[in-house]
Order: sequence, then structure tokens, then C-alpha cells
Amino acid sequence: MMHQSHQSHQSHQLQPVPPPTLPAAVPAVAVSDLTVAYREQPVLWDIDLHVPTGVLLAIVGPNGAGKTTLMKAVLGLVKPAAGQVAIFGAPYHQQRQRVGYVPQRGSVDWDFPTSVLDVVMMGRYGALGWFRRPGRNERDLALAALQQVKLEAYAARQISQLSGGQQQRVFLARALVQDADIYLMDEPFQGVDAVTERAIIELLRELRARGKTVVVVHHDLQTVPEYFDWVTLLNVRRIAHGPVAEVFTEANLSRTYGGRTTAMPSR
Amino acid sequence: MTSQQEVQLIAAVIAAACALPGVFLVLRRMAMMSDAISHTVLFGIVVGFLLTRDLGSPLLFLGAVLTGVLTVSLVELLNQTRLVKQDAAIGLVFPVLFSIAVILISRFAGNVHLDTDAVLLGELAYAPFDRVEWQGIDLGPRALLVGSGVLLFNLGFIGLFYKELKLATFDPALAATFGFLPVLLHYSLMVIVSVTAVAAFDAVGSILVIALMIAPPATAYLLTERLGTMLWLSMLIGVASALAGYWLAWVLDVSIAGSMATMTGVLFVGAFLFAPERGLVATAHRRTRQRWAFAQQLLVVHLHNHAGSSDEAEECSPAALHGHLRWSPDFAAQVLQRAERNGIVRRDAERLWLTEQGRKLAQGTGVGG
Amino acid sequence: MLEFFLSLWSSWGDYTIRMVALGAAVLGVISGVLGCYAVLRRQALLGDAMSHAALPGIVLAYLLFGTRDLGILLLGAAAAGWLAAFLLLSITRHTHLKEDTVLGLLLSVFFGFGMVLLAFAQKQPTAAQAGLSRFLFGQAATVVERDVLTMAGIGALALVLVALFWKEFKLLSFDPDYAATLGLPVRLLDVGLTSLIVVAVVVGLQMVGVVLMSAMLVAPAVAARQWTDRLGTMLLLAGLFGAVAGIVGAVLSASARGLSTGPMIVLSVSSIVLFSLLFAPRRGLVWHWFQRQRNARRLRWAMQHGDVPPSVPVMPPADAPPDPRIAEQKGASR
Repeated sequence: MMHQSHQSHQSHQLQPVPPPTLPAAVPAVAVSDLTVAYREQPVLWDIDLHVPTGVLLAIVGPNGAGKTTLMKAVLGLVKPAAGQVAIFGAPYHQQRQRVGYVPQRGSVDWDFPTSVLDVVMMGRYGALGWFRRPGRNERDLALAALQQVKLEAYAARQISQLSGGQQQRVFLARALVQDADIYLMDEPFQGVDAVTERAIIELLRELRARGKTVVVVHHDLQTVPEYFDWVTLLNVRRIAHGPVAEVFTEANLSRTYGGRTTAMPSR
Repeated sequence: MTSQQEVQLIAAVIAAACALPGVFLVLRRMAMMSDAISHTVLFGIVVGFLLTRDLGSPLLFLGAVLTGVLTVSLVELLNQTRLVKQDAAIGLVFPVLFSIAVILISRFAGNVHLDTDAVLLGELAYAPFDRVEWQGIDLGPRALLVGSGVLLFNLGFIGLFYKELKLATFDPALAATFGFLPVLLHYSLMVIVSVTAVAAFDAVGSILVIALMIAPPATAYLLTERLGTMLWLSMLIGVASALAGYWLAWVLDVSIAGSMATMTGVLFVGAFLFAPERGLVATAHRRTRQRWAFAQQLLVVHLHNHAGSSDEAEECSPAALHGHLRWSPDFAAQVLQRAERNGIVRRDAERLWLTEQGRKLAQGTGVGG
Repeated sequence: MLEFFLSLWSSWGDYTIRMVALGAAVLGVISGVLGCYAVLRRQALLGDAMSHAALPGIVLAYLLFGTRDLGILLLGAAAAGWLAAFLLLSITRHTHLKEDTVLGLLLSVFFGFGMVLLAFAQKQPTAAQAGLSRFLFGQAATVVERDVLTMAGIGALALVLVALFWKEFKLLSFDPDYAATLGLPVRLLDVGLTSLIVVAVVVGLQMVGVVLMSAMLVAPAVAARQWTDRLGTMLLLAGLFGAVAGIVGAVLSASARGLSTGPMIVLSVSSIVLFSLLFAPRRGLVWHWFQRQRNARRLRWAMQHGDVPPSVPVMPPADAPPDPRIAEQKGASR
């Protein structure tokens, strides 16, 4: 209901009438004609992406391809030079509650004096609003999220005492506690051991089974077909975007990585 | 030489001497080390004085230099415990040494010429009266001799180890594999900074030492990225600030050190605004120029991406520029006009087409396509 | 020790000492609490730059309004400190200069300009300017009851703001990008928190002076961090350490001639830091040394007996700070 009213309200104010060629369902994430530039140097050129609801999507591409920038543009953290992003048909700032973000693990100081449970509760700060402190309800939600990532035993730990994989799972739990419909994750497999990687991918599949949409910036081409059902090949421009079976081809990969086909999952 | 000329000469020599190690401090992200060292050398001077009871003793100089190195070592020691981050370590170490120095002065050396105001500000105006004589011949003001000595020392050190310093600054790991001992170089550099700070400290006070070490290299860094150019440009800027500051102080009858520091700031603001490539004005100018070029590029890329797609008619229309690219109608119309004039886009009622030239442009920008 | 408390007790009767000690305690609480944010956000030296930058503000306020009123002078100081913080942000954004360079630049240029203005002020016929240079090294002895009340009022306001925006400031300090995705006005919060740090600096100028102010921000926070892993506890402890150091420093400085108050406060708080770095449980260096010794003993035992002793694993303690060099690497495990 809410969603519907958002939608119609939207189309008058901010969004032109959707073109008839779009699929009938509103895409979870719709990026259209997005260009991002740093100091007039394009980092992303005219990107179009429609991410349908309920898929596990990997964004892959070489270093400097603009993967993280694309994610930050979707989250409104960088200002685009042109184009727009819609989350379920509305701009990000109206849909914040429906988006959970998992930043790169290295983006924060893990020596910060705070506990695991505390970090996870931060996921509720947006919903809490000004001046209200997290209470029993937030605590229970956070503990439940920690249970999902199998870290409930670590709730009281100082965050610097965790291993890299555990830190990554704390960030996951923080996004889970937001109870979002879309999860955006920047390199969640970076520097985690094989067991954690398994656990994380299991969790992502569970999210998909519950109808959530998960977008992951990913590095390891080898695991793309196994882990994901959609893929975006990115190198400043959108090289290809669609179901893995259709677009994750040698030809597309070689276009993405500039002919260096050694990157192919053949090892 | 009149004492006025001598003051200017001293200021110029010290400014040049400070600029040289300052360049490496700025490039190695250790600018605040000059803040710490210029304050803590007081500790060395005081301890040296208490041991010798002689303000002219070379032991004071040695003590001050050793304190500079001690400061750096303490900061790194704290940093290595991983309990304290580097910036906090600097903020912890120098107030302690400075506090001890202040207390030592007021308790044991209160009646001596070592008052704390002079510590911050120096007494450049009196520098010509402290002269060195040798067998009855006047060799000149002590500050000038010391300053020149330090300047030559700095020039010599940087001249000798130019390529090692350069590599250790830009790629310490590679420097280490070449056997250049970055740690040794680092500490040598810190000794140089300390020696320079001590020499300058006496004449211009600790705050101007920071100004002369950091501001001219920062200004030069806005004008060039080449290390060699940056070194002589920093010296030039330092000398210019010193002389301009001297005359400003003379005209306004104010503190010489303060007005020199102010002039280093004025020159920096000048470069910040008007540097030929990096200045705010040049950047703003370039931005507007690039904005149109960029918008046209964006237009052709957009048209190219959607050529042959199912939504081609929708996307390749003037209306889409407003609706999809989020350009204002005015801006979109202007970009389109420019693109048409440049012969990269052809307009035909409500459809936009790329010309051959436009297609080439679209394929040339970025990767893939 | 007993002697110290006796002197504390007897000196408490003295009005000046009581005011100085109270003022120092208030400053210690404010700078201790707000310094935690400065240290955690790696802005430890911002306080140093801002305190130096405050000088031209103080003198300008005096020249413009012709008054020695502490409130007006401190407003000038706050304006200049705030301007320095703003310039730091805009210069680092518009150039490729690094933050430390810009800090050094602002600190020295602002201070130099302040000296130029001070020379003007000293040419004024009124003798009032004598009070201006007290900000250089601080002159705690000039603190009167009204000053202490002003400081306490400003401090209370700052602490109330910290309490009100507790979770926002915490998230801003830990993960500003994530805070922005949740819809927090990150820019505004940043400005607010920086302004509070300016307030702390300004309050301290009269007590400890320009040069030593940075220690009042950094030291209590660093000491407090060693004893706790919770932000709330850290802030409380830092405030406590700051207050204790303020009182101890003030009383000690009154106990003998030539012990200036500012430096004595700084030495007191630095002693707390040293003690904390050495002896704090779990993080302290001495604790770590004992830990290593014990591990070595266990290892020897294990090698002699061909087995580890029951229920004592040969491992670093689970709650020791992790060594980044042995962080798990996905690449290595394959």
C-alpha cells in the first residue's frame, strides 16, 4: 500500500512516466544514464542497469572500473554528473529504510572503543530518529541478527578482537538488522577465509529466498557462476548486464578486462 | 652593512635553510613534526644551559638537536606500541617536553635571558648586536654565521643524497630493497630538521620556524610537482616572504617574525587562488570549459549506448536529455546546440542521430562501448 | 602522599588556589570528554592548530570592541578557531595538500598574524592589553569566580549536546559513510562536533595557553582509551582524568614558586597517560609483557611434555589486540 502511494506520488514530481519497454514489475534498483566524474574525469559513463527484485547480483570489473563508485552513487554518497537512480521507483532518500549497506571492512578503524552488539545496533539508528536511544527492542533485533551470522557468542566483545572474517560478519549483521529489501555489499569476501565465505554466501542465498535483492561488488571471477544469478560487467561503462548464464561469457569478459582473458574462470 | 640590511640577510638565509627540509616534511606527511620539534628544542636548550650555565655554549646547540631527535623517537615509540596513533603521539610528546622546559626556566633560570615570550617570537631585531669576533676582527652577526652554516649543510646533505631522499620519499619500500636504509635517511632528515629548527629558533622563534618550514613548500607544491623545482621554488618563496615580511613589519612597526609568518600565508593564498594550473581561478575556468566538452561527450556516449536498443526512440530524443540525464531544459538545449554546431549530432524532429564524427568520438571515450 | 593531601587541604582555604583548581577541573572535564572525539577521529592535532589560530581572534575582538571582557575575547577566539577548521577543510578539498601540511600552515600563519595584531594592540594607550599575552602561556592565577562559572556554563552546555546527539556523534566518528546512508546529516553533525571541540579549546586558552592546549585534548582521551573498550566509559574516564589532573596540577603549582600552572597540569595529565600505557589491564605494555612470559612458559612446558597443559591453550589471549600481519588472507588459504 505504502509502496503504491509512493509510486504514484513519485511519477508526478520526480520521475518521468516510465517508458513502456520496461518490465511491468518495478525493478529493485534502476540506474539510468548514470555518469559520475571526479574532477571532470568520468569514472562511470552513462550506466543503465535494471536489477529485478529477488536476484543475487555481482558487479565485477578490473580495478578502477568504478564498482565502488557505482555502489556509492546508488547510495547517494557521490553526486552524479548526470542520470538518476531509483530504488523501487523512488529516489534513494525516500527509500533509505529499504536499503542496507555493507561497506568495505577496511573503511573503518576497528580499534574504535565499541562492542560487537553496539555496532550491530547502529543499523537501527536511522529508524530510531533523533534523540532516541537504542533500547530493549533494538538489542533483541541486534542479537537476532548476530545469531544469523553465528556471532551471538561474541556480542560483548570489543570489535578489534575479531578476525577479519568475523568483522565482515558484524557488518553483515548491522545491515541485516536494518531489515531492508535491498542489500548493497562492497567486497564482502575481501580477506575472509574459505569457511566464512561459505557462511556468507549461504546467508545471501537465504536473503534471496526471502525475496530480498542483493548486490555485491565482487572480485573473484571464478566463483561468479556458482554464487550469483545475475552479473554486471563494468569497466567505466556497462559492458554487459543480465543473467549469468547469458552474459558471463568469455567474449564479454575479455571486453571488460581489455583482452586479458587469463582472468577467465578456467584455472 | 647596516644592521637593517643584516637583519634582512639573516632572515633570508634562515628562510632558505628552513625551506629545504620543509619540502621533505610536506612530501612525507610529517609537517606537524616541525611543530613538535620547534617547541621541544627549548627543552634541550634549557637543559644545556643548566649544565653549562653559559648561553653561548655549543652544548646548548647539541642539546637542542638531541631533543629534536628525542622528540621524533618518542613519537615513534608511542606509535609502535599501537596504543596511540601518530597524530595523538605528537600531541602528547611535545607539550610534555615544553612544559618541563617552561618549569625549568622559571625555577632555575628565571633571571637569565631565556624568557618564554622570546621562545615563541624570537628577537630578530636584536640579532645584529650579537656578533662573533675572531682575533679582533668582526666576522658578522652570530645568527648570520650559524644560519649560513646550516643553509650550506642542508644544501650539501640534500645535494649528496638527492636521489636516495627522492626514492625514500616517494617509494620507501623500493628504497629499502635498493639498500638505501629508509630508517637511517628518515632519522638523518630529522637531525637536519632539528639542526635547522635550533638555528632558526634563536632568531625567529618557534612559530616562525613552522611557518618557514611548511608554508613555502606548501606554496611551491601548488605550483609544481617536480622535486627539484619544488626545492628551489620553496627557497625562493621563503626568502621572498622573509623580505616582504621584514618591510611590512618596518612600515607597520610590528613584530618581524609575526609579519614574516603572515607573508608566507599571503603568498600561499596567492598561489591557492592564482596558481596557473592548480589555482582556484584556473580550476574554475577549466571546469566551465570542460563542462561543455564533457556534456557533449556524455551526449554522444548516451546516444551511442542506446543506438539499436529497444528503447532507442525514447532515449535518443531531446526530451530524454531532460528526463533521463537530469539536465535542465536550458542546459540540454545549449549542449545540443553546441553539439550540432560541432557536427557530432544531427537532429531530425524529435530524434537525435550521431554523425560519423560523433560515433568516432563516442567510441574513443572510455573503454568498451 | 599524606603530605600532599594535607597541602591540598590547607591550600583549599586559599581563594585563588581554589578558583584555579576549580577552573582547571572544569577545563579538564570539558577537554577530556570532547578530546575523545578528536582523538578517535584522528584529529588530535586539530586542537593544536585551533588554539594557535585563536590568537588573532582574541586580539581582533579586543581591538574591535576595546574590552577585556573574557566572554567577548573568547567569542573572538572561537570565531578564529572555527575559521581555521573551515579553512582546513576547504584547502584540503581543493588542493592535493595533505592535512598535516595544512594544519602546520594554518597554525603558524594565523599565529604570526595574531602577533602582528598584538603589536598593534600594545600600541593602544590603555594599559588593558597587558591581559592579552596571558593567552600565550595561560595565566591561571587570573581566574576569578565569574570565569569559573562562565567556563562551567559553557562546559555544561557542551556536555548536554554530547548527551543529546550521543548515537549520532558515535556513528559519525566510527563510520561516517554508513551514517550518511542512514540519512544522518553528516556534514551538519561534523560541523557541530568540530564546533564543540573549538569550544573546549577556547575555554582552555586562559588556563593553559595556546601551546599546551593540545595536550589537554589528547592526553585524557589517550589515557582513558587504555582502560576501557566502551565509548561511554572512555568519555567518563577522560573527563575524570582531566579533572584530577587539573586539580593536582593547580595545587602542585601553588606549592612552590616557579611551577607554572599550565605546565603542571599538562605534566599531571601526562603522568596519567604514562601510567595507563604501562599498567592498564589488557592493553598496557607491562600486562603484555607478562602475557608473553606466561605464553613462553606454557610453550616450554608443552615442548617438554609433548602436550599442552590441560585447559590452557598455547595461543595469544583472545582479547589481545589483533596483529594485522596475521589477519586471515583468503588468497593464502587456497
